[in-house]
Amino acid sequence: MDVIVVLEWAFDAVLGLGLLWLAWRTLNSPDLFKAIVLFISFGLLMALAWVRLNAPDIALAEAAIGAGLTGALLLAALARLRTTTDNTMPAQLPAGSWFQRGLLIVLLSGSAAGLGYAVWILPSHTSGLSMAVTANLDVSGARNPVTAVLLNFRGYDTMLEMIVLLLAVLGIWSLGGLPPRPERPAVAVLDTFSRFLIPVFILAAAYLLWVGADAPGGAFQAGSVLGAAGVLLLLSGWRPGVRLMQWPLRLALTIGAITFIILGVLTLLYEQQLLAYPVAQAGRMIILLESLATVSIAVTLAILFLGESPDPEEKK
Amino acid sequence: MEAILANADWGVIVILLPLTGGIVCFLWPAVSKTAGLITVAAVVLAVAGLGRQIMEHGAYRHTVGGWGAPLGIDLFADGLSLFMLIMTALVGLGISCYAKSYFNPRDAVWFWPVWLFLLAALNALFLAADIFNLYVTLELTGLAAVTLTALTGRIDALSSAMRYLLAMLAGSLAYLLGVALLYHDSGSVDIATLAQRIEPNATVWAALGLMSAGLALKTALFPLSFWLPPAHASAPAPVSALLSALVVKASFYILLRLWLELFADFAEGVSTLLGLLGAAAILWGSLQALRQTRIKLLVAYSTVAQIGYLFLVYPLASASSGLAAGIAAYLAFSHALAKSAMFLAAGNLMRFGGHDRIADLDRAVQRLPLTVSAFALAGVSIMGLPPSGGFTGKWLLLDAAMSQGRWDLAAVMIIGGLLAAGYIFKVLGYAFMQAKEPHDARAVPAGMEWAALLLAVGSILLGLMASEIFALIHPDLVANAGGAVERVWTA
Repeated sequence: MDVIVVLEWAFDAVLGLGLLWLAWRTLNSPDLFKAIVLFISFGLLMALAWVRLNAPDIALAEAAIGAGLTGALLLAALARLRTTTDNTMPAQLPAGSWFQRGLLIVLLSGSAAGLGYAVWILPSHTSGLSMAVTANLDVSGARNPVTAVLLNFRGYDTMLEMIVLLLAVLGIWSLGGLPPRPERPAVAVLDTFSRFLIPVFILAAAYLLWVGADAPGGAFQAGSVLGAAGVLLLLSGWRPGVRLMQWPLRLALTIGAITFIILGVLTLLYEQQLLAYPVAQAGRMIILLESLATVSIAVTLAILFLGESPDPEEKK
Repeated sequence: MEAILANADWGVIVILLPLTGGIVCFLWPAVSKTAGLITVAAVVLAVAGLGRQIMEHGAYRHTVGGWGAPLGIDLFADGLSLFMLIMTALVGLGISCYAKSYFNPRDAVWFWPVWLFLLAALNALFLAADIFNLYVTLELTGLAAVTLTALTGRIDALSSAMRYLLAMLAGSLAYLLGVALLYHDSGSVDIATLAQRIEPNATVWAALGLMSAGLALKTALFPLSFWLPPAHASAPAPVSALLSALVVKASFYILLRLWLELFADFAEGVSTLLGLLGAAAILWGSLQALRQTRIKLLVAYSTVAQIGYLFLVYPLASASSGLAAGIAAYLAFSHALAKSAMFLAAGNLMRFGGHDRIADLDRAVQRLPLTVSAFALAGVSIMGLPPSGGFTGKWLLLDAAMSQGRWDLAAVMIIGGLLAAGYIFKVLGYAFMQAKEPHDARAVPAGMEWAALLLAVGSILLGLMASEIFALIHPDLVANAGGAVERVWTA
């Protein structure tokens, strides 16, 4: 038994040191490509750390979004940067004087020490709201406490988060989007590979969505897997048609938020409280919200990767 | 009909209305201008409905999802929240009327949905009673503000928007870390529950430091104001007005709320520090404004200085905190009206002359009398001359400083007023003069001139309505709620 405890301790120590080392290397790397690869590895290790902290929901999200899609977005941005600028090296920041550096080091290590102490004296285990969540789980419509919090107890926060995603797309489109990716003939391997993988992605997303009610999973995880399928399709040369890029795309991007708002208005009218689901209907409403939110999240992530504005003639 | 209006849940409606409006604008870009204006006007009416309910029944509380804090999220509005909502709705309406004529059709398609989401985020922020929900609304506000800053797509706008984004993210993350520490320490994110459980220990102090630093960065308190002048100066005029008038007030409101409810009892040293930084902001911002050669940068640095006045309430709050918070809210409102009018007037001058160089204003006063009047009237409030809102707010602040023997703060306020007079008369002086090389002027739509003038007149009227407004923010209003609301805003 003792051996296992020591092993776990050693594993955690290696994980923690590895995270710090990767973070430092990422920030320190002069080569942007290398920095992105290091960032992706950082995300994967971070997902492992969440597993060690017994937070499998966050681990899934971190692996899919933190490492996977963010990595893909960064690589796509780097590829576009290389086509528009010839220098791949970031400009060297002017090094401050010794006094400035010393002051910065003193201030930062002081704050770090203070924060470290504050975390050190935290009680090692507090129940927080988990008692209240467990007590109300039966009437929440979900058996996974994370889903119950995200979609029911704090569904209002999730509604606002859907708008955050929409704003990200609006922000990119408002700048005129990126120039269209140069058409490349599909590589045979990628093409065949995608044909096999995409159905698997869709199946995995559906499973994650469905299982989210009882176990780790849910709209954000399912949406990011589905979004990754979209990225794969885009990489293998598929482009949504012009007609698809108009209102069907806009509807898909907003359908999650629209569902939240409609349910909000209905519950306000019939229950006098925003997003207060009747107990008998709660499970069905959560599944409805999650399914449509999955669509919005997946389309948002894929569209962020595409980066093109829907109206090419409106380019600035 | 009367019963429906009296019983409708206006607090939820002021959040859902602009959210719906924003989505409509996104789905049907062709109608975005009309839908946007209708939504903003409807929000003004909904805020009026909420105001009537609060006046009659006391503080507003809504338990989202029916769970109730601390498990669920509560919405809460007392006199202070209501006052901020009124500020957002009225200033937002003025700026929307201006934006109707300002944007070309291509930019308008993006401006309206993002502005409506920003409005929803601000309303949700002023109604939040939960520190994590505040974080979500703060993120939404920041993201919408950055998107609007970059709207023109010009290089200077893009680089200052990028800097703005990084500053916003750093501020949000510091705030979020503070939320995590407070939740672990006290087991709740509901402000009322936290207020009962909080006890000063190292964790709470760390949370206080992180949240205050993050929010001070977002409010652009000197010396964390480095991002504000380029961002506010390079954005389109209506956006600069929104950023300066409303967005910086949002993070200031959160800081004020946290202090009133959680931190005021044990953190007097930090309030002294905030006051000192505020005083430094007044002097530094005003001197920088005086040095500028472009109107928009001048107005942006003036914002840095005027934010300093808001932070002077912290050291003065210990003796009479209810009143001090009222003064801060009142100053924020009068600054919002005056500064939006100034930025809109600056936008008119740019449209008119094609530039915003102060030295080349070229008899603007004859050719654009309404705009220059708007700038001058707003200037009266910024300088703190009677009978404007700026005068009443600063007078009350000065009175509080003198009665507490804080002659140093009083002196800074007076010097700040003199410096403000210096930079405003600098602009007005050039508006009367003829430029060396006269240039052609472009027409400015009348709606844009009137919108700026009306906001400026509002900043003067605010001074005449001071007693009604202080009755509105007064803590007694909240106490009327009786047993229904335990949390009474007296702090």
